Amino acid sequence: MTAMQPERFAAMGTRVELHLFGSDDRGALLAARRAIEAVDDALTIHRPSATTALNECLMAGRPCRINDPVLLDALVEIEEAYAATYGLFDPAADAARPGAGWNMISFDRDDARIEALRPVALDFGGFGKGFALDRACDVLRAAGVASAFLCAGESSIAVVGEHPLGGGWPVAVPHPLQPEGVLAEVELCDEALSISSTVGAGTAAPERAAMIRPTDTSVVTVPRTTVAIDRSGARAEVMSTALLVADDDRAGRLLDCGQARRFLFDFSREAAMPVQPGEMALQ
Amino acid sequence: MTDKDFDLTRRAFIDGVLKATAAAGMAAAAPWAISAAGAEPAAGDRVRLGVIGTGDRGRTLIRNILKTRNCTVTAICDDYAPHLAKARALVSPATRAFADHRAMLDAGGLDAIVIATPLNVHAAHALDSFDAGLHVWCEKAMARTIADCTAMVKKSQDSRKVLQIGHQRMFHPTYLNALRRVKAGEIGPITQIRASWHRNTSWRRPVPPDSSDRRINWRLYRDVSAGLMTELATHQLQVGNWFLDAVPTRVIGSGSICFWKDGRDVYDHVALVYEYAGGRKFVYTSLLNNARYGCEEQIQGSKGTIEPELGRIYQEVPPKVLALQRMQEDVKRGHKRTVPIGGATWFPELPVTTPGDSLGWGEYDETMLQFEGFGEAVRSGKPLPGLLAQAYHASVASLLGEQAMDRGEAMTWPTDLVTV
Repeated sequence: MTAMQPERFAAMGTRVELHLFGSDDRGALLAARRAIEAVDDALTIHRPSATTALNECLMAGRPCRINDPVLLDALVEIEEAYAATYGLFDPAADAARPGAGWNMISFDRDDARIEALRPVALDFGGFGKGFALDRACDVLRAAGVASAFLCAGESSIAVVGEHPLGGGWPVAVPHPLQPEGVLAEVELCDEALSISSTVGAGTAAPERAAMIRPTDTSVVTVPRTTVAIDRSGARAEVMSTALLVADDDRAGRLLDCGQARRFLFDFSREAAMPVQPGEMALQ
Repeated sequence: MTDKDFDLTRRAFIDGVLKATAAAGMAAAAPWAISAAGAEPAAGDRVRLGVIGTGDRGRTLIRNILKTRNCTVTAICDDYAPHLAKARALVSPATRAFADHRAMLDAGGLDAIVIATPLNVHAAHALDSFDAGLHVWCEKAMARTIADCTAMVKKSQDSRKVLQIGHQRMFHPTYLNALRRVKAGEIGPITQIRASWHRNTSWRRPVPPDSSDRRINWRLYRDVSAGLMTELATHQLQVGNWFLDAVPTRVIGSGSICFWKDGRDVYDHVALVYEYAGGRKFVYTSLLNNARYGCEEQIQGSKGTIEPELGRIYQEVPPKVLALQRMQEDVKRGHKRTVPIGGATWFPELPVTTPGDSLGWGEYDETMLQFEGFGEAVRSGKPLPGLLAQAYHASVASLLGEQAMDRGEAMTWPTDLVTV
């Protein structure tokens, strides 16, 4: 099985690796990288971008036209994600501005216009990684790539097609508190996986912002890890984030989702096992 | 801290220095540190030191000397009585005290002199000490003029006495470890160092009724000091020369009294570019009315950046995800295995591994290692290798920078320096 030299680079505030198998299309690999970098350029709030320009408008109380197509597509997905997570995924929530949130925003996707009833600013966080991986996967599929593994910071993974040796891609999510332990083993095929956690290596990094609960802007301290698998990387990100901050009722509804695979591990209890919808007793 | 705790702290510090200097290329890059850390201070009489200048810095040095295993303070000297009185409280009652350094030199009973006086008298005090047959440890910067720096080096060579200058970063485990990682190629060839020392302070100390502004605030006046260049930049210029393994070819710069228009005549803002062979640069700023960017050296190579004050290394290309590397190898071998991956998002910054904990004043620190090394150098009559050249070139670079700013023109590296 041929395996091209992987593409490894820094983007979205972390490291990204793109692995292609059964293909020697270097151009497709570079195009996938450019797709991720284009999302980074559009959604970052750490340097001037379409999002920082939008935030300036929203903070100043001015309506804004969205000219950047990547940002517009992201906002469309955000609007749907906000509804699908009962408001638990909210890129406008901010501990410094209690009450601010997506519910203050009026977004007209057809007219590409957005405005807010009060000052808000958007921070896409992990959503950006899943959204970027989706676009990179689209580029690879369009180029005829049949097998690829994409990874952004180890918490966001997307695969194209099957494993190069056939069947799904076997992935084991390590236990965040037990170095040799495994939290979950899953197989992926044309899917994305997102992991969110309040515990484990790296969660105490000084650069990492605290996870806040959009409903009351409190800091989430309960020791949890969540895993979401979805056809869409952006949706997987949204769901793993929402599960991390969900109360019992909403977590139950998010977990009881039919086709998609979602897991919530609550380490505040003695045995850290996936919580089933029928046995929600989290905090 | 108990004696046992102190011994453990000291041992951990020394181990850190030895570990950092054991790597390839470090023997030539930091021979002084290897020599100082590797030498177990011999038993026997302690090296007798006379300290000239017992202000804040002088008293800090005394505290460190008193914790070494091979040095002792035998005499102290200051022409300002309150400073002398504060120093007396630190040393044994048997320690002799003088108001005039010549009287201290004439009284004898010393092996070496420690100089912590205002910059413009470093050279005179050092030359007098050499004339008295003594070795010299002097605070950085070396002297107020390049000619005086050269005279100190020459006199030390002619009299065959040790001259050691205080540059604590040269003994600091974090810096040594950073240099080790540079030598290992982790950040690629260094092409630029961007350094700053920014403070938000007037740098002016209150003047007691029995003293004068000139005596207390000598750093603010040109006849005594080159201000930011000799008091702060010297440290970082030494780091620049050390990590670039060269001296500058020339320097351009701009200085101004931009904020503290209070009668001082040294710059409160300086900005300079030092050029090195091969197009490499050391870009430096220092100012006294904004502390946002503090004190740092950003050592920049093609593969990464090291910021030793923060103790961090940043890679341009992130390190490989080992699980994915293994997956690649598995697929090549036709072997399908589960990929163990996933957790909180990986962050790109990796800390420099700093041996030991932070060691502040009152415990073991690099200043003490300097003195233990100096003590052994005095006993053997052989200076710590490589140290004086580093210090000499750092002082010359700082004073050359001052000249570039004063004249508004590029200054080339002097050709008449003494070979150390």
